This record gives sequence, structure tokens and C-alpha cells, in this order.
Amino acid sequence: MKQYLSVFRIKFINNLQYRAAALAGIFTQVFFGLVFIMVYIAFYESNTGASTPMQLSQLISYLWLNQIFFVIVYIWIKDEELLSMIKNGNVAYELCRPVNFYFKWYFTIYGTRLSSLLLRFLPVLVMALLLPSPYNLSLPASWLSLLLFIVSIFIASLLVTAISMIFHIITFFTLDERGVLTLLMVIGEIFEGGVIPIVFFPKFLQVIAYMLPFRYICDIPFRIYSGNINIAGSLINIGLSIAWLILCFGIGIILSKRALKKAVIQGG
Amino acid sequence: MKIYFESIKMHLKSALEYKKSFIIIFISQFLVFFSYYFVILALFSKFDNIKGFTVYEVLLTFSIIQLGFSIDEIFVRGFDRFDDLIITGNFDRLLVRPQSIIMQVLSSKIDIVKSSRIIQGIIILIIALINLNINWDIYKVITLTLMILSSIAIFFAIFVFMASYCFITVQGLEVRSLFTDGGKNMAKYPIGIFKKGFIFIFTFIIPYAFVNYYPLLYLLGRVDNKLYAFSPLVVFLFLIPALLSFKLGMKKYASTGS
Amino acid sequence: MYFLRERSGILSFITVSDVCKTFKVTKRRSGLKESVKSFFKRNYIYIEAVKNVSFEIKKGEIVGYIGPNGAGKSTTIKMLSGILIPDSGKIEVDGMVPFKEREKYVRNIGVVFGQRSQLWWDIPAEDTFDLLKDIYKINEDEYRKTKSELVSMLQIENIIQMPVRQLSLGQRMRCEIAASLLHKPSILFLDEPTIGLDAVSKEIVRDFIKKLNKEEKTTVILTTHDMNDIEALANRLILIGKGEILYDGSLKDLKKKYGNYKSVIVNTKSKINKLIKKGVITQDETDNGYSFVIDTNILPMSDFLKYLSSKINIVDVDIDSEKIDNIIVKMYKEFKI
Repeated sequence: MKQYLSVFRIKFINNLQYRAAALAGIFTQVFFGLVFIMVYIAFYESNTGASTPMQLSQLISYLWLNQIFFVIVYIWIKDEELLSMIKNGNVAYELCRPVNFYFKWYFTIYGTRLSSLLLRFLPVLVMALLLPSPYNLSLPASWLSLLLFIVSIFIASLLVTAISMIFHIITFFTLDERGVLTLLMVIGEIFEGGVIPIVFFPKFLQVIAYMLPFRYICDIPFRIYSGNINIAGSLINIGLSIAWLILCFGIGIILSKRALKKAVIQGG
Repeated sequence: MKIYFESIKMHLKSALEYKKSFIIIFISQFLVFFSYYFVILALFSKFDNIKGFTVYEVLLTFSIIQLGFSIDEIFVRGFDRFDDLIITGNFDRLLVRPQSIIMQVLSSKIDIVKSSRIIQGIIILIIALINLNINWDIYKVITLTLMILSSIAIFFAIFVFMASYCFITVQGLEVRSLFTDGGKNMAKYPIGIFKKGFIFIFTFIIPYAFVNYYPLLYLLGRVDNKLYAFSPLVVFLFLIPALLSFKLGMKKYASTGS
Repeated sequence: MYFLRERSGILSFITVSDVCKTFKVTKRRSGLKESVKSFFKRNYIYIEAVKNVSFEIKKGEIVGYIGPNGAGKSTTIKMLSGILIPDSGKIEVDGMVPFKEREKYVRNIGVVFGQRSQLWWDIPAEDTFDLLKDIYKINEDEYRKTKSELVSMLQIENIIQMPVRQLSLGQRMRCEIAASLLHKPSILFLDEPTIGLDAVSKEIVRDFIKKLNKEEKTTVILTTHDMNDIEALANRLILIGKGEILYDGSLKDLKKKYGNYKSVIVNTKSKINKLIKKGVITQDETDNGYSFVIDTNILPMSDFLKYLSSKINIVDVDIDSEKIDNIIVKMYKEFKI
């Protein structure tokens, strides 16, 4: 456990060094949040008669939460160290380490995301709350919603790391990581609701989205917060997300065992 | 100039060395691009207009911005990824060659694999144009051409500006995404849908509005003033401060090292 | 402290006078608390990389430019190649000021950075050569002639058609050197050219540089940690430490000053105890006799041999000059760098 904490600590210190990057990152996220919000507001204002799957305030909360928890929700983050290690076959050396390969990298990736999150999330949250209506982040639908939200976003963080691990390990079995990884990450981003909320998808794509685990990272937690999913629905979805989490852990561990075995046979 | 074209050939040769991955990346680029259009298509299936602009009008502005950006992403990638040159120290190598630094930076990275984006942009552009009832005349054609050219120019200038910033620090690169992706995401829509303040910024600070808003109004026949048709020319002026800032950055580099 | 050779009346090819360069660097410390502190306030320290450095180099010299890491070597080289502007002082090379007329000046120099490559990675070296031909605007006939000469001298005929990434380090370095000389520069800056190279490649590279210098009178400035390079190539040595020139003179003089230690290996069947004689630095037993290190400044070789033969029956003796490496180490110690 100590080793994992020290990895987290190093990453956090690392992030602090880049203070310009951190500040810029905060502004970037606030700005991006506003861009999407303005587009949606323009849409809603032009079509006041239309029936929408989400109220404007819920949608705006969704978008803000997307920015605040960006580091968790953004699947595109690649761990270059792990990738390069897989690429040049040094992954075989990991067998020589006493630490379980999967968990070491799991916590590394988790630590990276978490340390970035801690640095950014408070300033963006504050700004989002203080903006004038209708641009601001609304308060959660209820105390219970908030509680369930915290649970679901925590599970989401675990889930996204598990999925990220699977993506990274898959690159071992394919010769080129750039293309395959890009492909997977785009699919992930679309079907988690990171591009637009799933409720705006055409029906047939919504069906596909429901069959994949990605929506538990972004779509579900944020809609729990705003009450777009009711309490009962929230509990069911949290349960499902835990199930997916276990499944992804399992797949990840099996794949990593296979990969290590293959690496040893190939001789790195 | 000839050397730039030779570099293109060499970049292409390099990329083709990795045939398999070239194909995979080519295909995956299609998907990435598709996800961008996806937003518009999905939203317009629920709403029929945004501040008076219909789906094909938005696809038009969208594709023009994407086209310009994609072309620059391929051919001006050297500036887009200028931090690479500074961090690896390879910028010094450029300084030891008897060639204009700007040409060398342009030749340093040419990302041929992204060319599928250009094709997609063109396809969407054509689809949009077909579905719009534009009264074509010589001025409208000029307008459209200028819109596309200025889209290429504006991102060129933005890339150069961002590269200049690398001379101060190679950290804080996320600021760059504010201007490239952030501004780009807004410029994809006719700027008129946003509030007054942004229209101001996009007219006088980063001239996106002259790429695909003011000329768009002329193209769609919403205004009749020929000035709007030629307004994209303003964007080319924007290149001047961009290149100046890069030259300034180089001077600083020579006096303080990296 | 430095020694400057008087060059009265002869125009130097490279003149560096009183050049200074200072860098501003952010002060960073380790640990979590320090990181948070530095997030809010930046502390800077000033590093004088180059302090009043002066030297002159004549056309056709091969100069070894050495010093420990951080001594100011690469800063000086960067200023000489026009990449960096000195804070004060004058640099003149072949009548030009490097940083003032960069594009014109740079046509005249060739650079090989040991670690960084100017060859395109995925395609044959020859393609890079052809590109360089256009960049340096080399005449077609001249280019063909120069290229074939370089290719045969560096023995790379068979490999210039292979993608560079498939070459060994030695092969790649030889191609790099060829690439840097296609435009027949009058000055060649070599930074760690033989680092990591196999013995054969090292040999080829060294012979080549010697030949190049002899035939084309190319001035060569060689920065390296490999003293064998210096021994094989340079007749002049400039040592820089902590931003200052500490030694500037011939290799011969250097050996005379510091090369007083000599190793003596003696073949004998006789047995002796540890010799207690001033000037005998070390004494070791070997399979066939003994090996000694003698300080010839204290004890001249002839005296030692006379003394030794009075003690033992010498079957065979081998005398070796001190390795240049040790000489340099001693110099570093003396100058405390």
C-alpha cells in the first residue's frame, strides 16, 4: 500500500511543478464548459416549444460536472510510460518485480488522474457555482442525490481506470498502439456521454450505449446529481456499475496475465 | 520552397514504411472526425434551428473550419508540435542549417495520416452546399474560396502564435488548446449565435468571424453588401503579428538558450 | 588561470575574446512542501556558464575541447555555431560573427551532435544526403564527387540505402559524419562522435577525421570525454572548467607536465621486498615479476632501472607512458573541477 501512496505523491508533486499548466488547465476547462453551454443555450432558446430529454439546468449541470471531473471522465489520457514499456517489450521485466503488475499500473494510472483532479477541481467548481444564471452549475436535486452522486462518481473513477488498463494492455496484442488506442478511446468517449449526453442520441445508438460500460463513467453519475434519474433508478444504476467494475477488473487481470506470458515467451 | 515539397515526399515515404499502422490510423481518423459531426447531427435531430441557422448552414460553417484546421494539422504540424523541437533540442539543428527557420519548422513534421480528415471535410462541405439554396454568382464563389483559404490561414497563424509561446516555456501547453480547440469549437457555429461579447472577441482579437460568419451572411444572401464577401482578407493580416511573435521568440532563444 | 599561446602576426581562423554567458535558472528543491512553496513563488539563481573565455584557433587545427559536464563546453560550442548570443565579448569565425549572419555563416560549418541525429529515421541515409544537397545548394557534379569520396572513406557504400533505423550505432555515426560534410564546410564541430561506437567504427572515424584534416585543411573542434579520441586526433587541447579556460596548449606539453608517472612491468624470477625508494609510487606482484609506477620527476627512469637491476635479475622490462585519462583526472583534481 505504501508503494502506491508514494507513486501518488510523486505524481502530485510532478503536477505541482507545472504551475503554468495547472492554471492554464483551470481556465481551459472553464472556457470549454462555457463554449458548450452557450451552444446548448442557443439551441434551447431557439426552440422553446420542443420537448427535450433534459431540462436546460440539468444539461448545464451535466456539462459543468463534465469539466470539473474531466480528469476522471476523459478516457483519452494515455500513460506513456506504460505504453512505451509495452511497445518495446520491457514489460517482461515487470515479472521480476514483487509488485503485482496489474495493480501497480492500476494505481499508477489512478494516482495520476486523482492528483490532477485534486489540483483542478476546486477552482473550477467554485467558478461554476458562482456564474450568473443560466450559466451556472445548479445545486444537486437533493441531499440523497448528492450522496448517490458521490458514490457513483467514485465508482466511475475506478471503472475508468479499469477500462483504461484494458485499453493499454490491448495494445500489447496489436502491433501499433496509436490507431487502435485512438479507435477505442473515441468509442469510449462517445458512449460515455462525453461528447453529448446519451439522451440526445438517436434511439438505435442509445441501445448500443446501454450495452456498454462507458456510460457509468460520465452519463450516469452526472444525471444522478441533477435528478434526471430518480432515486430508485440511481440505485439500480449504481449496482450495475459495480457489476461492470468487477467485470472490467477481471478482464484486465486476465489480459495482463496473458500479455506477460506472451512477453516472456517472445523474449521481450 | 522546393525543399518543402521534398520534405513532404520524405515524410510520406517514412509513413508508408509502416504500412499496416498507416491504414489503421487512417481509418481511426475517420471515426474521430465522425464523432465531431455526430454532435451536430444528433442535436439537429431534436432541434430544427439554432438562432435562425439550419442544419446545413451549420454544417457549412463546421466543415469550413474543419477543413482549414485539418489542412494545417497536416502541413503546419511542425508549429503545432513546436514544443517537440524545443524539448528534444532538435531546434538547435535547424539553427545550424542555411535555410529559413520557418520553412524548416514547416518541413519538420508533415502528418500525412491525418489526410482522411480533409476528405471528410470536403464531403461534408459538398453535402452542405448541395442542400443549401445559394444563388451562385462570381462573388459567391469568391466568398466561398476566401472562406476556405482564410480558415487555413487563421489556424496557421494560431499555430505560429502558440509555437512562439514555447520560447517562453514549454509547459502550460493547455493554454494552447484554449485557442485552438476552444476557439475552433465555437467557430464551428455561426458566431452570431453567441452573445455580443464573444462576437467582439472573434472579430477583433482572433478573427474567426471573418472566416465563416460575415462572409457566410453574404453567401446565404442575408446581406447584400459586397464588403462582407471580401471580409476574409482580414484574416491574412492576422498572419503578420503571428510571424513577428515567432521571430521575437527566436531572438529570445538565441540570447537565453532554452 | 590559463595559458595562452602567443600567435603574433598570424591571422586566426577562430577568435574568441572575453566571452561571457550567464543563465537564469529556476531553483527547485525536492519534497512536497517545497513543491507547494515554489508553486506560489519562483526563486531564481544565476549560473555563469562561461566566464571571460578567450582562445584563438588557426585554420586546419584539430582542437580537443574538454571539461567535465556543466563546465561550459556546450555553451561555447553553441556560441561558436551561432545558436547562442554571448552576453559580452567577441566571437569571429572566418571573418564572420556567427550569430549575426546565421544563414550565411552556417553554410560554412558542419555539426555532428553525438546523441542527436540529423538523418531521417525511417528512410535511407542517402535520401537525407539528397535533401542536404538542396538545402546547402550544392552543385550536382560536386555533390556526386564529394558524396562518393565520403562514402568510400567512411566505408558506408552498402548501408546508405538502408533505412537509418536498421543501422548499428557505428554505421549511423559514419553516415552522420558523411552528411555533415557534404557541403565541404571549413569547420567541423564534433560532439562525442565516438560515444558508444564499436572498435572498428571508432577506428574508421578517427582515421577519416585525420585524413580530412590533412587533405581539406578542415578545422576540427572535438568535444569528447573519450581521451583516446584526443590522443588519436588532437594536437591541441583546451580545458574548460567552471566556465573558465584552465589549459590551452599542446598535448605534448600536457604530457610533459603531468605525464610524469610511468608504469614499469618487470619480468623476473628474483624476489624482493617492498622497495623503499623515493619516487616509487606503487609496487605490485605479477605472475611473472613485478609492476611499478614511478614518478619520473622525482626518480628518473634510468636511475630507477639502475637501482632495480642492482636488486633483481631483470629478464624483461616494459615501460609504458601514463594513460592520458589519468593525466586529465589529475588536471581536474589540480583545478578542483
